Amino acid sequence: MKKKILENLVIILLVLYIVVPISMPIIFSFSKFWQGILPQGFTLEWYAQIIKRQKNYSALMVSLFVATSATLISLTISLPAAYVVNRLKGRFGEALKNFINILPMIFPPVIVGSALILAFSKPPLAFNGSLFMVIVAHTLLGFPYMFRNTLASFRTIDEITLSEAAQSLGASLVERFRYVIIPNVIHGITVGALLVFAISIGEFEVTSMVAGFTGQTLPLQLFQQIRNDMRVASAISAFLIYISLLSFIGITYITSKTRKD
Amino acid sequence: MKNIRRDFLLILPFFVFLGFFEIYPILNLFVKSFFSDKGSFTLQYYRNIFLLDQYRLAIRNSLLFSTSASLFGGILGTFVGYFISHLKRSTKNFLLSLYSLPLTLSGLVVAFAFIVLLGRNGVLNQIIRLLFHLPKDYYIDIYSWPGIVFVYGFFQIPLMTLTMAAVFENLDKSIVEASKNLGATTFQTWRYVIIPSLAPGFVSGLSIQFAGMLGAFGTVLALVGGEKNLLSIQIYFQTSESTYNLPQSAALSVALILIISVVLSILNLVERKLKPGG
Repeated sequence: MKKKILENLVIILLVLYIVVPISMPIIFSFSKFWQGILPQGFTLEWYAQIIKRQKNYSALMVSLFVATSATLISLTISLPAAYVVNRLKGRFGEALKNFINILPMIFPPVIVGSALILAFSKPPLAFNGSLFMVIVAHTLLGFPYMFRNTLASFRTIDEITLSEAAQSLGASLVERFRYVIIPNVIHGITVGALLVFAISIGEFEVTSMVAGFTGQTLPLQLFQQIRNDMRVASAISAFLIYISLLSFIGITYITSKTRKD
Repeated sequence: MKNIRRDFLLILPFFVFLGFFEIYPILNLFVKSFFSDKGSFTLQYYRNIFLLDQYRLAIRNSLLFSTSASLFGGILGTFVGYFISHLKRSTKNFLLSLYSLPLTLSGLVVAFAFIVLLGRNGVLNQIIRLLFHLPKDYYIDIYSWPGIVFVYGFFQIPLMTLTMAAVFENLDKSIVEASKNLGATTFQTWRYVIIPSLAPGFVSGLSIQFAGMLGAFGTVLALVGGEKNLLSIQIYFQTSESTYNLPQSAALSVALILIISVVLSILNLVERKLKPGG
């Protein structure tokens, strides 16, 4: 009995450890002001400021555009690659998989950032400071998650048999992807897409290195607002938390569904 | 057979993208670190790393900070992972999902959350002052090194929890039973059976933590600006601020890649040694 109470107490503490910090910006964002222990008043003004202030609004649009593009590029390069790696037999496939897993570890965001700046700051490759460079950087940070989840999906189905059946019925490569392969690995693709999108929306480190005036994303605005206006900063933080929460609910839903299948 | 061969070409876009935007820039980084702005060969930038206090301190700080943050996250995360792996399925799945949330959270958001909670006038600091009748200028300091390690725990503990929960899950219950049946005490079972079979997973989790911490700087920058000297922050300032010195940043980047590679290789070697039959 005593053990049970202790166990529940630890569970509550573990939940609070995550929930208390992430609820701070959310509570802050709905309060008129918060100086003492308890927040005062209720308002939606700080959210309205994201849309009303030109700088914040354009940052929101840039962030959504960058995250969508990075997700799509990650998918475009990772899906065919996972398809091939799944079919590769022997060492080369494993080596490639390990290489992609270790890539984000040996080349962390700060290295990706400095390498991109050095490589692409002089004509004819002067991409630095452009929105394109931000999208490339986010893709580099995100694609391993897309690749890993898509490949894991490929491993749960017998793609080769399915493809041979489709081929014998006269399906072309495009038709096979469209009607056989993608529907079968859609869970992995969705989980990967949610991760890449959430990572991209919150990314600050590389973005602050490679972004020029055109690549000002929401986290870059947040960085300035933390020093200037905590209230607007709280609304931006809360918004970024909502995106993470949504993607995490989506992932939990998909994984629990695939477990039951 | 021919068809399958042609299918392999589908991996080309992946290699082209990676080659052009990651491999080429990194190789370029190595080359540029040996040439001055005017284009002549020099080892000056590497000499600077060994001779200038600013960079030597940065490397020392980075190593100390990464070690303490990964041990802090690693040890606590292992306990949490152990605890979670013993709960009933629904509670376990809920906690594991909750603990995967920080993985996608922005470092800035976490910095902001902890400023509200534990900043100089943070909610928790006010409560502590009120409860214990402490003077107005007393506060738990998240702007100090231990404070920053504590804040990074919000990323590191969950990451280790996820790794270790899986390791505990895969722990072969039958060998634990066997050891008990052979008359081993609880201590002996842990010392000779459980810990040796967990150790490789622990070390592998630790290397993920360590590598991640060596490159991290977003949360530090949001908390204390450039006040704390880390290798990653030096690279950031050498590329993005007015102190701009690209070849120097290239040399520092190469140093960071080397440090990460050495640490990962050592931990990988330890992991292999610890594996049964290794």
